[in-house]
Amino acid sequence: MDHIELSLTQSLDHCIKCNICTSACPVAAVTDAFPGPKYVGPQAQRFRHAAQPVPDESVDYCSGCRVCNQVCPTGVRIAELNARARAQIVAERGMPLRNRIIARSGLVGRLSSGPHAPLVNFTLNFAPARWLIERVMGIHRHAPLPKASTYTFRSWFKRRKPTVNGKRPQVVYFHGCSTNYYEPRVGQAAIAVLEHLGFEVIVPPQRCCGLPLLSNGDFPAAQKQHEYNVTHLLPYARAGIPIVGTSTSCTLTLKEEAPELLGLHGDDIRAVAAGTYDIFEFLRDLYMQGRLRTDFRPIERAIPYHPPCQLRAHRIGRPVLDVLGLVPGLRLQESRAECCGIAGTYGIKREKYQIAMDVGQPLFQFVRASGQDLALCDSETCRWQISHATGVATRHPIEILAEAYGLQP
Amino acid sequence: MYDTIVIGAGLSGMMAAIGRAERGEKVLVLAKGYGATHWSTSCIDLLAGCDDPFHGITQLAAQRPHHPYALAGPTMIEGGIARLRAICEAAGYPLVGNLNRHMLLPTALGALRPTTFAPVTMIAGDARQLRDGRPTLIAGFAELRDFFPPLIAANLRAQGIAATAAQLAMPPVGRQRDFSPATLARLCEQPAFRASLGEQLAALARQGDYARIGLPAILGLKHATEVVRDLQNRAGALVFEIPTLPVSVPGMRLYQILEDEFLRLGGRIQLGGFVQRGESISDTLVAVFSEAAAREQRHAARRWVLATGGILGGGARATPEGYVRETALDLPLQAPAGRAGWFAPRFLNEEGHPIFQSGVRVDERLRPLDAAGRLVYDNVMVVGGALAGFDPIREGCLEGAAIATGWMAGMS
Repeated sequence: MDHIELSLTQSLDHCIKCNICTSACPVAAVTDAFPGPKYVGPQAQRFRHAAQPVPDESVDYCSGCRVCNQVCPTGVRIAELNARARAQIVAERGMPLRNRIIARSGLVGRLSSGPHAPLVNFTLNFAPARWLIERVMGIHRHAPLPKASTYTFRSWFKRRKPTVNGKRPQVVYFHGCSTNYYEPRVGQAAIAVLEHLGFEVIVPPQRCCGLPLLSNGDFPAAQKQHEYNVTHLLPYARAGIPIVGTSTSCTLTLKEEAPELLGLHGDDIRAVAAGTYDIFEFLRDLYMQGRLRTDFRPIERAIPYHPPCQLRAHRIGRPVLDVLGLVPGLRLQESRAECCGIAGTYGIKREKYQIAMDVGQPLFQFVRASGQDLALCDSETCRWQISHATGVATRHPIEILAEAYGLQP
Repeated sequence: MYDTIVIGAGLSGMMAAIGRAERGEKVLVLAKGYGATHWSTSCIDLLAGCDDPFHGITQLAAQRPHHPYALAGPTMIEGGIARLRAICEAAGYPLVGNLNRHMLLPTALGALRPTTFAPVTMIAGDARQLRDGRPTLIAGFAELRDFFPPLIAANLRAQGIAATAAQLAMPPVGRQRDFSPATLARLCEQPAFRASLGEQLAALARQGDYARIGLPAILGLKHATEVVRDLQNRAGALVFEIPTLPVSVPGMRLYQILEDEFLRLGGRIQLGGFVQRGESISDTLVAVFSEAAAREQRHAARRWVLATGGILGGGARATPEGYVRETALDLPLQAPAGRAGWFAPRFLNEEGHPIFQSGVRVDERLRPLDAAGRLVYDNVMVVGGALAGFDPIREGCLEGAAIATGWMAGMS
């Protein structure tokens, strides 16, 4: 038993059955399909043994939002127990084709983006095609699927000329699949901000962080992705060069999800984890060290901001509020809704789409009630879900920061 | 970045945080998870074993100068309670009561529990009213575990109250599984569910000519006062809530109200931030470190409030070797020297058990002291269940002491 396994098993015994997690769980609040974190987590775990039948299949309805971990007064790692339990089911029974595909966001992105993206986007907007995809693949016909980009972030980055020269401190940028294939503008804003702050930005080879594989229970495939990324990021981590990412779920995976769920804790894995930062966490650290430029243009407006579950799972507070709070005139209205519902690939599945939409209701109402035509969120799938449900354009906070610095990516 | 960081999001921590934020400070509440408020009834117990709680507190403070009530003094006790009541009143969830009088409210076992302030949704259950001879109905749902109307009614009858029990039929809600108190509370805020509940209550009240109906405390999360008023109108009888086993819906309401108020004042809350250690320069605490993904997070502030609770709240932990340690800052604890000293020989010992008096010893300004009585940190105040020298549950003063010391840290 490794030390993570040990801490999971021991945290199981810290459960005092107080039901705070079940009362806070946004999924259990809207569906009977998921009886709640306490039952499928610490309670069912007592009945999970190798070579014994799976005691509880409803664990598949855990969206992995980790609200339970956050509210638990005794520190039980419920979401991790659930993720491991799901992986055990997948290991025993295999994985449906649909999940195999949506869990490979790198592959899907590579096939969708490029000059042919308009055709892909047209097809994915074409109702009969979506009906067919739902019937054959089990992806809900209304599920928010991102628009593929006609160019990738990496191709843009290779072509461009850096705006800085001379010896600068370096940072590594981990763009993730969504920036590369769907929203290159997020990466462009990140590069613009980091260079404005005087950094030389390095973009080493990288693959999908593996989170969709982890949350769909394919641990062996996720491990391959993680090992590839660790190999390519390690030299920088060892040299003390920070690794920053705009996808808060990718950075969470590099920091914690992959090592914890896969039980990997070698020195290399730990070095990369310890060297990885959510971009606003990194910027907040710079500010605390007095190294953040504050030559902001005022932005006179109020914008609703949703701190997504994956960001909350970093347990670093609200770095976006801390940093964007420095921009004169800008007033961020923090959403207190638990979750947007989508939870990565969860809410696009035919059987879970409505659950995800119901989970997100309080957030959608908050965004609509704000009366603004723009919302902010650190996580891509959440942005797509919010826009899908409310019609309000949703952007990454780094894009507003770039605007505040007066940068044209 | 912060003027004050409060560690712990229970009643004492939130009172301290609200107090500091009201004074215009930038305040962060850093907590491992939801506080013990979610387990509480949202009633304010001031002191058990006396007829006049405020008089009892004055006497106790004179006899026990290290008791949190003695440290806080009457101004903070009254001031804190008044502020809390004003916040709850403004949120439409008034806490009713009187500093000089107890109410006796039924528990989920049908025992009568003394408390000084209770949410307006519970006060029609005060035993003084229940003993007026007019019949009382105790009703609940079979689907709600750990709430048995026949047991409650039988125990109330044994105490001279004319109570009968009835089981309600679950209105059609499209859900079959697991009705936790929180699930039912959300359902009660739906008009159709409430209408069906109201109809059943009206029919029962007519049959038995009941003057009052006691129900589990699940009558709404955000609009409990309106839900109770609505059900009273429909039933033609007074309705009162009886606290359930955890998770406690009234406790969730109270936490939500305090959180709303704190955020309205510009405060920030970080849950899932388990404080593991502090960093100090001589007797000044300059930073704490909370557990986070891949590495700790450092938090700096000028002033600190430790509101992590006692053994129940997680502020103190026993080690296998028999020591008790303070979990956030590793402050010296006043506790029995070894495991042998934890418990009195008799389980129901009248004086309680020594272990439950353990906590952080403080000076007259609530600053932590070591075993020799020397100041540990100049800029830290310790409040609520984390304090030494009292047994909050046995003495029936958990909320009162939390509010008084929390408010003192908020004001001084």
